[in-house]
Amino acid sequence: MEQEAKSVVFKGNSDGLVIVFPEGCEFEQALQEIDNKVSNAARFFKGAKIKVVYRGINLTTEQEKAVYDILVKKSGAVVESFSRDEENKGAGNIAPKPSRTNEATRLRFYPGIDEGNCKFVKNTLRSGTRIDYDGNVVIIGDVNPGAEVVATGNVVVLGTVRGMVHAGADGNRDAFVFALGLKPTQIRIAECIARMPEESDSDGFCPELATVKDGVIVVEQIMRPTLK
Amino acid sequence: MGEVIVITSGKGGVGKTTTTANLGTGLAVSGKKVVLIDTDIGLRNLDVVMGLENRIVYDIVDVIEGTCRLKQALIKDKRYDGLYLLPAAQTRDKNAINPQQMINLCDELRSEFDYILIDCPAGIEQGFKNAIAGADKALVVTTPEVSAVRDADRIIGLLEAHDIKNPRLIINRIRNDMVKRGDMMSIEDIIDILAISLIGVVPDDENIIISTNKGEPAVTDSKSFAGQAYRNITRRLMGEEVPLLDLNVSEGLLSKMKKLFGFKSA
Repeated sequence: MEQEAKSVVFKGNSDGLVIVFPEGCEFEQALQEIDNKVSNAARFFKGAKIKVVYRGINLTTEQEKAVYDILVKKSGAVVESFSRDEENKGAGNIAPKPSRTNEATRLRFYPGIDEGNCKFVKNTLRSGTRIDYDGNVVIIGDVNPGAEVVATGNVVVLGTVRGMVHAGADGNRDAFVFALGLKPTQIRIAECIARMPEESDSDGFCPELATVKDGVIVVEQIMRPTLK
Repeated sequence: MGEVIVITSGKGGVGKTTTTANLGTGLAVSGKKVVLIDTDIGLRNLDVVMGLENRIVYDIVDVIEGTCRLKQALIKDKRYDGLYLLPAAQTRDKNAINPQQMINLCDELRSEFDYILIDCPAGIEQGFKNAIAGADKALVVTTPEVSAVRDADRIIGLLEAHDIKNPRLIINRIRNDMVKRGDMMSIEDIIDILAISLIGVVPDDENIIISTNKGEPAVTDSKSFAGQAYRNITRRLMGEEVPLLDLNVSEGLLSKMKKLFGFKSA
């Protein structure tokens, strides 16, 4: 049982492999284990392009080289890179990571938020109606409380939103919600959720645009001069 | 083990949702752990009355279909610890769940909560059958109107047919001045017909409309007369002996309040 807990663990991620070293393990022993595991799984790895990161302990440059050599020789895979997982490193080296994860996941989003499929709804959505669409949605009318609009693209409402709207429903944070009046019970963009302040004393009718900034939904008024 | 209580009436608009919100809040104020379940799928209201509408992410249908875990769908009340709401879905209908699923849901909640209050939809169809499926006890709400009492009578029969014995009665929106003039059924008249035990009488009170619109149950308003009635019912639910409100006093207080409001609006 103890032996089990101390062994090296392999995990898959979106673009390759994560090797997790148990804390305080002997490097030589761990190297042997990696050798065994990779050799056994050689057929699985063969021909694949993988990026490999590791966690758990800090390796010296020589040790990294030793692991890298085993991976290259025994797996038969094309090892594009081998490095320590940035998540566990200091803050200094985070920069490349977000761009890479973005690139990896973006392919799964609805791609047409700038130009793509669009559904037009030419009436007011009353409580209990739900529009679910893979693309952008334009509503000519209001969205009343209890109505829901869920789109993988943008949502534009030429009326007042008092119900729930969800833009970028498949995870696209670049999607936006625009409405001539924005007083929703709840607004969602990708996985972010926001609700209006309890005492919203917004006076009158002003077009507003909701977008995601730094992981938070931000609503800004769109005045005439800025609508170029 | 928690107690599952369904609040039902047959007729619509007699105050099931208001009663559920007030009793739930009252129990939570008394330190009980309470969950309110809205089973009115497609016409949900309890979230609005509780002022929690904008916090809904998952609902009862999501729980039953396995889209989310039960814990994720429970909305914690913004004012009282120990008070949770499981909202209904708005874009589905009553057939989205069945009685057996309700029984399972209630059993799951029973271990976590002292009281599980179920807000039943109007009618006697699928929604009603779902709502009463998992219940141990029932509170029947009626107003002093012939039609509401007729429906309550039918509901009591159906409850007994489903093995929910001894439902208790709440008479809502009674106006003592009208009863005295003989224009409204009295408490005695109603009990004569329904022949079940009374757990409380709630006077007609315009504060209820104000508090319902604000999303703040009246039970916490010490000045509201209806709130006092709900506080008493809460204590009776917990097993205390509390005498019925003296509605004659209420008349004075009510008319005083009405004068006050009249004065304000003038």
